[in-house]
Amino acid sequence: MNNWKVFLNGLVKENPTFVLLLGMCPTLGTTSSALNGMSMGLATTFVLICSNIVIALLKNLIPDKVRIPAYIVVIASFVTLLQMLMQAYLPSLYASLGLFIPLIVVNCIILGRAEAFAAKNTAIPSLFDGLGMGLGFTWALTLLGAVRELLGTGAVFGFTLLPSSTNMLAFVLAPGAFIVLGYLIAIVNKIKK
Amino acid sequence: MKKLESSLTNMLLVLTIVSVVAAFLLAYVNNVTSGTIAKINEEALSSGIKSVLNIGADEQIETNEKPVDAFVVYEVSRDGNWVGTAVKSTDKSGFGGDIEVLVGFDAEGNILGYEVLKHAETPGLGARMGEWFRTATSGETKEVSAVSKVFFGKPDPAGSHNIIGRNIGNEGELKVSKDGGDVDAITASTITSRAFLNAVNNAYKVYKGNASDVNSGATTQQ
Repeated sequence: MNNWKVFLNGLVKENPTFVLLLGMCPTLGTTSSALNGMSMGLATTFVLICSNIVIALLKNLIPDKVRIPAYIVVIASFVTLLQMLMQAYLPSLYASLGLFIPLIVVNCIILGRAEAFAAKNTAIPSLFDGLGMGLGFTWALTLLGAVRELLGTGAVFGFTLLPSSTNMLAFVLAPGAFIVLGYLIAIVNKIKK
Repeated sequence: MKKLESSLTNMLLVLTIVSVVAAFLLAYVNNVTSGTIAKINEEALSSGIKSVLNIGADEQIETNEKPVDAFVVYEVSRDGNWVGTAVKSTDKSGFGGDIEVLVGFDAEGNILGYEVLKHAETPGLGARMGEWFRTATSGETKEVSAVSKVFFGKPDPAGSHNIIGRNIGNEGELKVSKDGGDVDAITASTITSRAFLNAVNNAYKVYKGNASDVNSGATTQQ
């Protein structure tokens, strides 16, 4: 029950993108299409779960004053692992996302959850926190990517829904990311009230 | 278990152990995946070479690889006969970084095909170069206001942006229409288009400088 609550917390109540506003750089940079947003979210989820578990297990062995460098080494190792595995076994995904994978290291959601949750809890709740936060990040990025893709290119997940005369280039570019993100946060806040 | 105290020995020890374990783990995975990654890159290159020279994916070819400065020249022959040359060319002036293209040439220097190997251009804009320069024009131009130019993009211009079959030797270097050339740039991506055409022009120069060395077989060189 408790774990379920931890999971839902990340998914909805403290959604990293729409509520905590963490990890804005990959949020804005990778959501030019729904597929890219979703892939980035899932890659981050993988790193988040692994780093949360390892940090929860090691938390008593790491002295307080060196915890940040130790966490960074753990996170960076998982990111590099992910990068190598993806390059070897999912080359097409790597081709479109490869540029952003190293950026997961500096995604503040991951270090933030390590500090705020994994360093204070045991491995199992940390796993659920990583899963909830990760999937919360994933659905937010997918939604953002889908809206931008629809408005910018008239397609969602590559399936064309609107004629090309309604395509608004600006939404594929950075300004569109900010505009869509602002509106989505407003909508989420409205629904939550 | 109580938390380890932040003494100098503890800190040094823990950070060293964490780093060493991480290093061994990464070295192991690198060892496992590096073979597969190299194979994938090799396959991508060989299918790229076949595609820019219009060779079927199943056909057997021999490739003779020659680095020329920052370029790589691939002389391709089938059953001992030279069939075409592909040149890998990189341009550093792209909008998002390096653009790496592979361009195929026949004996007369005509462009047989091209393939973008690596780029970091804007999706939906510059990233369209993979298709844009091999398709003919999409039709008539209509007048649009300045506002809708920003939000909706300009409609594709009426000129031509197909570079397949062009011969740089006879027609001069490829240039976008903004620079006085006759190739229409990708809508809203002139910088990408310029960098791309520059890479193609350089590929041709390298191909020509190298052409006298291509002598294996029936096709005569100019």
